[in-house]
Amino acid sequence: MNISKLIVSFIVSTSLFTEVLSAQMVSTEASFEHAKSVSSKEKLHQIISREDVKKEFEQMGVDSKVIQARVASMTDSEASQIAYKIDTLPAGGDAGASLVGAIVFIFIVLLITDIIGVTKVFNFTKPITNR
Amino acid sequence: MKPRQYCFSLFITVTFLLLSGCASKNPLPVDHNYSSALINVPFISPRSELCGSTSIEMLSLYWQSRSSYTPRLSLRELNERTWIPDKGGTLQIELVAAARANALLAYPLEPSLDALFRELDANHPVIVLVNRGFSWYPLWHYAPVTGYDAKTQTIWMHFFDTPNEAMPLGTFAALWQRSGNWGIVLLPPEQLPASAWAKKFLSCAYDFEKIGMTKEAITAYKTALIRWPEDIGILFALGNAYYNSRQIAHAEQIYRKILDIDSTYPFALNNLADLLYRTNRSEEALRLLDTLDTNVSQDTQIQSMINATRQEIFSSKHK
Repeated sequence: MNISKLIVSFIVSTSLFTEVLSAQMVSTEASFEHAKSVSSKEKLHQIISREDVKKEFEQMGVDSKVIQARVASMTDSEASQIAYKIDTLPAGGDAGASLVGAIVFIFIVLLITDIIGVTKVFNFTKPITNR
Repeated sequence: MKPRQYCFSLFITVTFLLLSGCASKNPLPVDHNYSSALINVPFISPRSELCGSTSIEMLSLYWQSRSSYTPRLSLRELNERTWIPDKGGTLQIELVAAARANALLAYPLEPSLDALFRELDANHPVIVLVNRGFSWYPLWHYAPVTGYDAKTQTIWMHFFDTPNEAMPLGTFAALWQRSGNWGIVLLPPEQLPASAWAKKFLSCAYDFEKIGMTKEAITAYKTALIRWPEDIGILFALGNAYYNSRQIAHAEQIYRKILDIDSTYPFALNNLADLLYRTNRSEEALRLLDTLDTNVSQDTQIQSMINATRQEIFSSKHK
C-alpha cells in the first residue's frame, strides 16, 4: 500500500517535472478552461482514480485481460466519475431474468402484506393479527 | 367489503397510480412540424444481455454500409469492453468509451425529442438509454432508435428481438424520461450531428486526442471547421493536434489563420512563437511576442505564460 503510493507520487512528481521543462505550449485543454491549470493534487487524484477503477472492475468480475484496455480508453474525467460513482450508476442490460425477478419481488411484497393482514391474496397465508 | 374485493380494488388503485404517471398525452413540442423518418440500420439478434455493445455494433455496421468508416473493434471486443458481470450490464461512460475506441465520435444528445428527431431526420440513428421498469425497480436498457412518425405518434427502435419495433411515442417518452432522456449520437469523425453545438462537439473530438487517437481527432476538427470555419477554439485544437503529431507546417498555417481572425488571441500567439523558436526562427518568435505586449493583456496568468516563453527563447539565444 505504502509502496504503491510512493510509486504513484514518484510518477506524478517526475511527470510534473518533465512538464515544467517544456511548459511553453498551451494545451487545448487549458484553452477550454482559460488557463485554469490542473493542480498537482488533482493530477494525483486522477491517477489514483484510474487505479480505483481497475480494482472496482476486478471486484465486479470484469475479465482481467481487458481491464487495462478498458481503463485506457477512458478520459481522466470519465475514469474518476466511475471511480466515485460506480455503485449508483445505471447499467443497461437486457437481463431477461429481471422480469422473473420482478414477479418474485411482487410475490414477496404480496406475501408480506398478506402476513401482516393488509391483503389476502393467497389462500395459504395466515395473518399474524387476528381480525 | 370482502377481503378479495378489497384486494382487487387495491390492485386497481395501485396499478392506476403507477401507470397514470407514464402516458403523457402529447409529448411532442407543439410549435414544430415533424414528419417521419426511418433509417435502414442493420439488425443483430439475438443479443442476450449485451444491449450496450450490440447497439454500438449495429450503428457501426450502419456507418460501414454508407460511408468509408472502418471499425477498430470486433463485436467480441466490444462485448468484452462493456460488460460488467456484477452490474449485469453496461455503464453509459463505458458505452461512450468503447464507441470512441471503435473510432466513432460519441456526441451526447440534447435531452429532448426535438434533438432526437433532428438527428433521425438527418439519417443519424441514436442510441438511447431507457428504463423499462420503475424508478424504484429499474430495468435499464440500451437500444438504437431508427425512426419516428409524428402523424401516428410512433417511435421505431431495434428494441428487442424484432427490427424496427414500433412503440407509441407516449410510452417511449415515459421510458426515456426515466433516464433523464439520455441519448448518444455515434458518428464517424467525418460526420457532424445535426443538433451539434460547436463547443460540445469540440470537446467530444478532443476526447479522441485524450486517449491517443490523434488522427481521428484531427479528422473531427476538420469536419467541424466545415460548419464553423472561423471558430477559434476548433482551429486552436487543430493547430495543437498537428503540432503534437509533428506536422509542424500544418500547425504553423493554422496558428497563423487564427491570428488572421483575431490577432490578439494569446494562446495562438504563444504556441506559434514556441513553434517558430523550435524551428530556429527565434527572432521572429520574439517579435511576435512583442506584438502581444502592446495589444493585451491584463490577465496575469497569460502574462506569466508569455514571459516564460520569452524567457526560454532568450536564454537559449544567449547560451
